Formats: sequence, structure tokens, C-alpha cells
Amino acid sequence: MTPVRLFGYTDRISVKPGETIQFHVSAEGTDTAEAQLVRLIHGDQNPSGPGFVEEEVACTANGRWRVERQFTQVGSFLEVDDPEARLAFTNSFTLFAFVHPTWPASGKRQTIIGRWDGDRKQGYGIGIDEKGYLQFWSGRGEEIERLTATVPLQVQMWYFVAVTFDAETRRTTLHQVGVGNRYNGLLGKVALVDYESRSSATFRSMPGNLASTPFLMAGSRSRDAQQRACVSELYWGKIDRCGAFGQALQSAELDTIRSELVPTMDSLVAYWDTSAGYTDRGIGDVVVDVGRYKLNARGYNRPVRGQTGWNWDGFTDCFRLAPQEFGGIEFHADALTDCNWKATETVVLPHGLKSGCYAMRLRSGWGKSVSEEHVVFFVRPRRPRARIAFLFPTLTYLAFANERLSFDHPEREALTGQSAVLSDIDIEMYMRNDFGLSTYDMHADGNGVCYSSYHRPVMNMRPRYRMPSLDVASGLAADLSIIAWLDHSGFEYEVLTDEDLHRDGSEALSPYACVISGSRPEYYTEQMLDATEDYIAGGGRYIYAGGNGFNATAGIRDGEPWIMECRRRDDGYKPWVSRYGEHYMATDGMRGGPWKVLGRATQKLVGIGLSSSGGGRSELYRRMPDSYHRTVSWITKGVDGEIIGDAGLANDGAAGLALDYYDRALGTPPHTKIIASSGGHTDSYVVNQQLVLYSYLGLYGSYDWRVHADMTYFTAPHGGAVFACGSVAFAQSLPINNFRNNASRVLGNVVEAFAGAGRLPGFAWVNEEKQWA
Amino acid sequence: MSIDSGITWRNPLFVWGGKRDVEELPTIPFRSHQEVWEGTRRSATKLNVVGRLRYYYKWPGHGGTMWNRLRYWPTRRRVLRLRGEYNPKTLRAEKTIVDKRPIWWILGLLALAIAPLFTPGDLQNTLLTAGATFGIYAAISLCWMLIMGTAGVFSLATYAVVGTAAFVTALLAVKFALPWWLLPPIGALVGLVFGGIIALPATRLDGFYYALLTLGLNELCRVYFVTSKEFGSANGGLYGAATYIPEDWSQLGQLLLAYYACFGLMLLALLLYRFVNGRRLGRILRMAPEKREAFAEATGVNFRQARVWVFLISSAALGFIGGFYTSNFGGVAFSIFNFDTVLLGLAMLVIGGVGRAEGAVVGTLIVVFFDQVLNTWGPARFMIIGLIMLLVVLYLRNGLFGIKAQFRAWRDKKKSERRSTRAEKGGEILPEEATETEDKSVIYQRRHDKMTRDHLKTLVSPEIIEEHRHSLNGQHSEALERLLIYFRTRPQVEKYAIMAVERFEGYRIVALSGHRGVAPRVVEDRIYATPDEACHGVFMRRVQDLLES
Repeated sequence: MTPVRLFGYTDRISVKPGETIQFHVSAEGTDTAEAQLVRLIHGDQNPSGPGFVEEEVACTANGRWRVERQFTQVGSFLEVDDPEARLAFTNSFTLFAFVHPTWPASGKRQTIIGRWDGDRKQGYGIGIDEKGYLQFWSGRGEEIERLTATVPLQVQMWYFVAVTFDAETRRTTLHQVGVGNRYNGLLGKVALVDYESRSSATFRSMPGNLASTPFLMAGSRSRDAQQRACVSELYWGKIDRCGAFGQALQSAELDTIRSELVPTMDSLVAYWDTSAGYTDRGIGDVVVDVGRYKLNARGYNRPVRGQTGWNWDGFTDCFRLAPQEFGGIEFHADALTDCNWKATETVVLPHGLKSGCYAMRLRSGWGKSVSEEHVVFFVRPRRPRARIAFLFPTLTYLAFANERLSFDHPEREALTGQSAVLSDIDIEMYMRNDFGLSTYDMHADGNGVCYSSYHRPVMNMRPRYRMPSLDVASGLAADLSIIAWLDHSGFEYEVLTDEDLHRDGSEALSPYACVISGSRPEYYTEQMLDATEDYIAGGGRYIYAGGNGFNATAGIRDGEPWIMECRRRDDGYKPWVSRYGEHYMATDGMRGGPWKVLGRATQKLVGIGLSSSGGGRSELYRRMPDSYHRTVSWITKGVDGEIIGDAGLANDGAAGLALDYYDRALGTPPHTKIIASSGGHTDSYVVNQQLVLYSYLGLYGSYDWRVHADMTYFTAPHGGAVFACGSVAFAQSLPINNFRNNASRVLGNVVEAFAGAGRLPGFAWVNEEKQWA
Repeated sequence: MSIDSGITWRNPLFVWGGKRDVEELPTIPFRSHQEVWEGTRRSATKLNVVGRLRYYYKWPGHGGTMWNRLRYWPTRRRVLRLRGEYNPKTLRAEKTIVDKRPIWWILGLLALAIAPLFTPGDLQNTLLTAGATFGIYAAISLCWMLIMGTAGVFSLATYAVVGTAAFVTALLAVKFALPWWLLPPIGALVGLVFGGIIALPATRLDGFYYALLTLGLNELCRVYFVTSKEFGSANGGLYGAATYIPEDWSQLGQLLLAYYACFGLMLLALLLYRFVNGRRLGRILRMAPEKREAFAEATGVNFRQARVWVFLISSAALGFIGGFYTSNFGGVAFSIFNFDTVLLGLAMLVIGGVGRAEGAVVGTLIVVFFDQVLNTWGPARFMIIGLIMLLVVLYLRNGLFGIKAQFRAWRDKKKSERRSTRAEKGGEILPEEATETEDKSVIYQRRHDKMTRDHLKTLVSPEIIEEHRHSLNGQHSEALERLLIYFRTRPQVEKYAIMAVERFEGYRIVALSGHRGVAPRVVEDRIYATPDEACHGVFMRRVQDLLES
């Protein structure tokens, strides 16, 4: 019997009471599930804390749901809109493309372009065979005729490939010419490889033409076990400009196309200028046919655009500067940005819903084999009323969505300093290929994943999830410790998500006197960063309740908030790196990588920024002398002794996982005061690469002073202020001893003061000290 | 080394006052990792010079010029199967003929076609007669090969089918004065009926029993034909049927005509072999090899039906050959049912190698050569055939044409044997292994790994293990840190990790696969109560693996 499994996602993750939300659920081994709306209060099941706490909420959708197994199309490709079937050739034709395979010898067939139905053996296609050779094939339903190139395609090299078919003589020619230059490929001129191949053959018949076959790039039509139409024989690599003619071109004419001239023959059926339609603020999913029939192609699972093309000469590093050199579109057979499941239920949320983190809890099965799934979403208020807002860093959840670091990255254990502790769900996710990867993973061809989406089950955005490589609650599960603390402390608060901040800008924050961040608000778009800066500068009071925040750039395309883009650059921690020339985000034209490099170090915004990260053990904070100054001494009011946060759910301390520090050279406001600092970190904590000019022995916790966390405070214009906790683990020290501890006390003092009306405590003690002692 | 070696390590973090930090721990004396590097000046084994001269021609690539790929009309098959590749030593584009058999076939058939022009005058008669016999027997062997090799039915009734068809057609030809060209089709009909009858038990009986049955059938035929008057029990056979050889031709002309007609018959048999073995039926049967029929059947391969089809087609073809036999010799002798005929036929198949057309043809050629050309040697020639067959059965796995694969397997076996005596487990890569390593950095990684491990082994001591047990994630002494850094940075394949059986209750040790989609492997049954205990368990396993390497 199939074990019962339930997986789900919602169409939106940020909703208001009374709005509708769609749930997309796929079930295995069952056709019904018990649904119950719950408010999530605490997630981490660490016995030192309150454990998992949820609150059942009345909702019309509660009860039995009919569920089914849903199909997921994995892999990115382009589908050409060809209603008049102009690409269903009944006469001679020519196809050409510039290609850059990234995994030619994958052991599976790949289609580059073609109108091919592999299941019915009808149509034609140009692609790569199992052994990595360029191949043209055609079929009429019975047998497939093939013409293969004489030399295998070399990985990561640009080629011009073309096939001509003469309907009268049925003579077919297949051309493959290397078009690499000094910059655009893996190998240089010194590697004496003859990339060229030209072969011809006389085929027995014309390709067949089924009306239902679409013309695809990077894939071809097939059928799955249930005979549903799907796309398979997916391609790994880049495709640049490509097109089709209604005649068999001569070699000289092909050479003309290869010499970068836009073909103008009358027989041109389609010419996809992959670099057409670029704007400085991003590139869409439509690939334009500049020929007369406008057979535009639309991307599925978001092919990566704006990549360096075959004619890129290395002088410019951005598609905005010379779009014609950045026509590369990158495809991966394991890309996934939308599961596109049918909606299982459309739910109208109750009107009186309190703002917070919610989930539709789905249960099925009996006894030990019961399967439970929390489909998480966030409920904003209809109209902001509270003085405090908690901002869920959903963009960071997305960046980490379904990461497999413990399984795929050999460096991971060295980075965290501890063995991975895996759960069943981690292993299950590693076994499956239909829920996609995170921006921390690599595609199977070794290239980094730059798109992540929440239109798929995100199993590490679940309340009880523990990150295996650190063996602590992370992301949502860690942030729920702050929610539980707010609930327990009796503060009235509302919640927001990164998506709202990106869309609404500082208006999303301005209704609130105090905004609290998540424990790792790492990924920020320019709009979000601007909004946060404007909010603080405009008198807002901001609590940066974590570490490693505001660190990495990310991109969201307007109207498609479920997909985030991430490019990775030379400086900073990175699980992979974008190739030169591909650092700019296709969604908004911003340069990818850390914000520090772009002149916006985290210190400039909140006073502190990433100094170090590691794992295994967290430390405690000791009060710093400045905390005794009357401008800030209210923060530590009621703290017994000098120690803050000597326990926690994350490795038993408040300073751990990622540490932020005060650095004037990086823009910490000059009047910032350090309230407390951690120290004595083990050598598993290493100085942040961004701060290091040279690597040398001794950049570790017990050697380098920079490896520590600073808890800071500064006032901002118009009555604003920023309190920064300094470490990712801080939030997880709040629930210790039933929320009665020094860390909780400090944060309580700050929230109370920030949420209060009027001026902040300690505002008056600003004169120069004239001391006797 | 013992705990009280008197050397201590002082914890640099103790001054910070962490609640779990100790001030000092017993440790081991410092040993530089460079000792291993400096102490290693030569390899443990002799390093052989490798590299091989190319003494044959390889076609170069010709990227710029168009290469027209021809096919066998009207099929889509290319004339030659070629592989274009880059020479890994020079990066030169080269072409390799993957399957040279078409060339050998064309050369061989050409030789047979022009052979009569080169026969020495005094041997002409013998050789041309032998050649004609060879053509007929080769055709029979090919059809038999379809039954034995392709269909996998161990039938010994082949010559019974041929003989019956020959006798029936001879009888009809004599009685009704049929023209010679009617005899082969009639023979085919007889063969089909005969084949149909003996196909029935073939689906029921297995190997040995079926062979016995068909052998008995062969004997039955012999007895029947020998004793029945119509078939000429008096004169050792039935002659007087019409023949295609005009009587008014010269003897040489007659011999040549017979030779080429039989050659043509063999070509037809080859075509049949190609069509049955190389197409749908043959592929179905190759999916259901011996001892794996049940699996094939479970996956929907109807191999029984395919077997019967092959059997019937071959039987009809054998009948056709029988008819041709009659029209070639003008009749047929009882000796075709003789047991020695069956055995010689079997020798033809076995010597060449079961399951391939070239095996049938060359095996026939050898046997016919001994039997017909060297007939002056008398009975000794049968001894020689017997000896060849014996040697083939004793020493060759699949006849003469299996020699290449057998030799390669033997060479590979010798290679790995010799390597295993020279190579050290986990040690450096030998020159001969390096030729097979595409990414040369792997070779250095192995060296670095070996040196590192040789040093790390000297660091394992009770002090270090005790230190780890006490402080898994704290600050570590130099020796322990070195061990841990090495363990943590190993590749993912077979790297240990911890799996939570039940969070905060039970943990066990697993080994990662390093391959997407493949679950970690459980390495032991033991359940640890806390992740820390499991973590120390992982450490102990790693230490053990290190010491064993």
C-alpha cells in the first residue's frame, strides 16, 4: 500500500481576513484529508521550550477535503505560440540555433528545438543523443530516422547548429560549428579541439505532423504513465538566437547567419531574437519572434534569461549595456517555479481572523501512519490597528525553500562544524525530484539555482522543521519563537511579509510604531531595503531581532511575488557563484550578490552587520559599558547581573549561528551604543568572507576579535530608533524558562518603549559628561 | 599511549567562562604533518612506464567537409557504424569503426564469389563440389542457428526436416515429373508442416528432453525412409528428379552453375537470418535470454510466441533447402538422416559459435573443408573435426567468434589481478590507473588524502577520543581539530550523518549516498538517545575507518 502523503501550497502567502485563498494539494495513498485551520504559535519542539503550539480556528473550510495526486511538470522550456501550425513543415525547411550545452552526455536524450512527439514518434527535432552527440531526427509514427554529428558536443562551449531538409530529394544536412571566443566558453584556443562537424544523409520520408504537437525549445512532447501530455527530453544548457526557414538553405547562407547577420530571406518562417525586448528593469518570459508571423515563445518554469550569449566578447558584464550580447537563455531539466496543480479548495477566510501566521492543517491516515501537512500562510490585518508589526522574512524562506545542503554540499559539515541530523522529510525530499530546489542548491548540471518559488510545497517552511545541517529550528520555525514570545508577553501585534513590504514600500510599515524583523531577514530587494530605511528615517522604531540580515540582494517581478531571483557574486558566503556577466538579475536588472558591495552594508541601516557564522555551540552576551549610560540603561532594566542570553533553543545560547557586529568603517551610525557583546566563540565560527581581504591562518573564533555579536541601539530622526539583537540565535533564547530570562527581559523593555507613544526613554541625557571620578 | 602522558592542552576559551569549558585536558605530543611528506621519498611499488604506440590507421576528423552518410537501401541502416570522438591524449578528432563485421562479410563473400577463378586445375572438381556442398550446408546451419541461437530451442531434427522435404519432393518429382523450380517451394510447404508438428512439444519440453525427442524423430525418419520401398530402399536413396543443371553443359559449366546456385542459396539464408534475428522477433527473444524468461514474461514480452514463429520460419526455410537439395543433386541419399550428419552439423555450429551468422558460415566452411576437401585422409579427418570441436568446447566460451570477447575478459581479469597486487588500498594511483582517470586532479587528491591519513592515524589516541566525547562542539585541541576537519571535509559519498528516528528521542547513524534521489544507507541498528551520543558514534566510526584504511 502506498504510504499516505499530503503536500500542499497556497496561491498567495499573504492574505487579509475575508479574502479568498486557494489551496493546491497533492495526495498519495488517500483521497480524503481532514482540514483544520490553525494559528501557529510556536514550532520548535526542543524540550527546553514550550514545544509545538497551535490554536484551532473555526473556518467554513474545516472538515473533509477530497484530494488527489497531482502532476508536476518539472524542467524549464519554451513553448511557441503557433496556432496556424506554420512550423509543421510540409516542404523543405531549415532549423538553426546557437547553443551552449551544460550537460551534453547526461545519458538521456535532449531536444534543443523541434516539433516532436516522442510518444507518437511524429515530427522532427534537433537535439542531443544519450552520448552527447548533436542529432537531428524525424518520424512519421513508425520508425525514427536520425542523422548524428561526427564529434561529441563539448560541455560549456558555444556552437552554431543547423539542419536543412530538402523535401524533394529528402537530403538532410546537419551542421555543427564551434563559435567560442576568448570569453564565452570553458576552453580557450589553446585546447586544440575541432568542434566542427558536417554530415548529410538521404532520409526515407518527410517528418510527420500531428496537429497537437507544440513547437518547443529545450524539450519535446511526451506522455507520462497516465497518458497525460507532458514535456520530456529536456535540455540542459543555453540557447541563444534560433529560427526556422521554409527552404533548405545552402552552406553559404548558413555561414551568413553564423556571422551574426539577422537573416532576411523571404523563406524565413521564424527568427527568435532572444535578446529582443530587454529593459533595464528586467526581462519577461516571452521570447520574441521578429519574423513576420510573430511566433512568440513563452517560458515555462522560468528559463533563465539575460545570460551571456554566443557573441558575448567579455567587455561588458551586464545585459543592460549590450543586450545583443546577452541573448543566452539557460534551461535546466530540474527547474521548477510552479507546480501548477489544480486548486483543491478555494477558501474564504473568516472576517474576524486575528493577524498572524496560519496554516491549513491536513491530516490523513490512521495511527502511526498518519500524515500531517501544514500549508502555511500569513494573515495581515484588514486595516492596521496594532502598534507593533512582526515582519516575516518570507523572501529568505523562499531562498532556502527545500534546500538540500546536507546532502549535496561536501563543505556543509565543515561550515557548520557538526554532522547533519536528518529527518524523514529531508530524506523524502532528497529522493523526490518534483518539488524543486532552493537558491542554495545546484541544478544537476552543476549550475546554481537562481529561482525559487512558493507555488510548490515548501517543506522547510513548516512550523516544526529543523534545518538538518545545523540541527536547530530555522526560518519560520525559529521566527515562531518571537511570535510565541509576543503572545506570551501580551503585546498586541500584527504580521506582515516581505511580499507586502516589496509591494507597498514604507507604507506597509508606517502605520506601526514598532516593527520587529525575523531572526534571519537575509534576502532583500531594493524596494524592501529602501522602505525599511525610509521607515526608520521617518521616525519608525525598528527591532532587528536577528542576524545575517539585509545582506543579500534578491529580485521579485511585479505581479509574480511567488518567485524570487537570486544571483551570487564573488564576495560573501555563497553555495555557488554566477558566471561572469551573469550577475545581474533578469527580474529587475539589479546586480546580484551582497548589498555591502553595492554600498549598502547592513551597518548603514541597522548599525550592525554580519561578522561571522558557524554552528555547534552558541555563546552568551555580556553587557558592555555603554549599557550603563542613562540614554540606554532602560534597555537592561531588570537584568540581573551582566549576562544576557545564557541559554537558548539554538545550541543553548543567544549568540550563535550567524553573528552581526558594529563597524564604523561600514557605516554604523556614529552615535550607536553597544549594549552587550558575545565572545569566546569556538573556531567553528569564521570571519565573514566579505570582511577579509586575504585568507590567513587565524580567522577563527578563538583568534579573531571580529568573531562576536554586538547588541546595539541608536536613535533615528523624528523619534525613530533601531535596536539590533546581533545574532540569529537570539530569538530562540526567548522561550527559555517559560519566557522568563534576561534576553526576554531586554527585548520586552525595548518593545514596550518602542510601542509606547511619545518620546523614547533616555532621550534627555545627551549632554557632555563632566565627571569627578 | 596512555592518558597520563603528562602533556596537556590548555583551552583558549576557558577564560571566557563558558559553562561547559574545561581549563585543560590531557593530550598527545605534537607531531608535524610534514613528517609524512618528508618521509615519503619513493613509492611503495615500482612505477611502470605506460603508453601504447598506434600501429594501425585511424581516420582523422574532417569537420569542414560534408560527410555523406550512406544507408542500405531501402532500410535506414547506415553502411558502417562509426563513432567520432576526440583522442583523449591529443584531442584530435578521430573516427572509429564500431562494427567492422560488414567489411569482413563483404570481403569474405567476395572471396567466395571469385574463388572458382583461382581453383587449381587438378583440384577443381573436388573444390567446386565442396563449394556447392558448403553453400547448402551453410544455409542449413544458418537456419539451424536461428532455431538454436535466436529461438533458443535445442532441436536436433534439422536434418530430419531437410531430408523429409528432399525425399518428398524427390518422390513427387519422380512420380509427377515436376519441373525443378517447383521443388523448393513444395519443400518449404513440407518443412512448414513438419516444423508445425515438432513445434508443439517444443513449447512444453525443456532443453535436454526436447533434444532427445528430436534426435529420436530423426532416427524414426531414417528408419522410415530406409525401409519404405517408394523411397528407394533398394538403391540407397531416391534419384531421378528434375535438376536445374542442364545436362548438355560441360562438366566445368555444371560445376560452376551448382557452385553459384548454392552460393546464392546461402545468401538467401543470410538474408533470412538478418531479417529474423536482427528485427522484431530477434529483439523480443534477446529480451528473454535463458534463465530470465520469467522476468521477460512478467514485463510483457511474449517470447513463447516469438519462439514458435522463429521455429516455423526456419522449418519452412529448411524445407526449401531440402527441395533445393533434390533439384541440385537430382535426388537424395539416406545418409542425410545419418547420425554422423547431425553431429557434423552440430560441429559446424559449435565451432563457429552459437548465436551468430558468421559462426554458422565459418564453422560450416571448416567442417566441409575437412569432410570434403581432405577426403583423401579417410576417417582421420573426422577425428580432426572431433578434436577441433573438443578443443572449442573445452577452451572457448562461445566458439571461434567469441575469442575476442573472451580474450578481453581474460586480459581484464589479469589486469585487475596484477593491479590488486601492486596497488595499496586508498593509496596513490598507479601510472596504469592514471591513464584511466579523466580528471587528473583526482590523482593528486588521492596523494594528499593518503599523506593526510598517514599523519592522522598517529593522532588517534584515548586522550583524543575522550576529549571528543566530552566536548563535541566546543573548542578542540590541535590534534582533535585536525581529525575533525579531515572528517568534515570528506566527499558526500558514504559520508556519515545522523538520522532522527524520533526527534529528541532516538537517533541512528546513516551514510549519505552522494547521489540525488538515493536515500542514505542505515549503517547500524543501534539507536542513540541524543544527537550528541550519535555524533560521538559517528566520530568513533570515522576513526575506525581511518585506522582501517
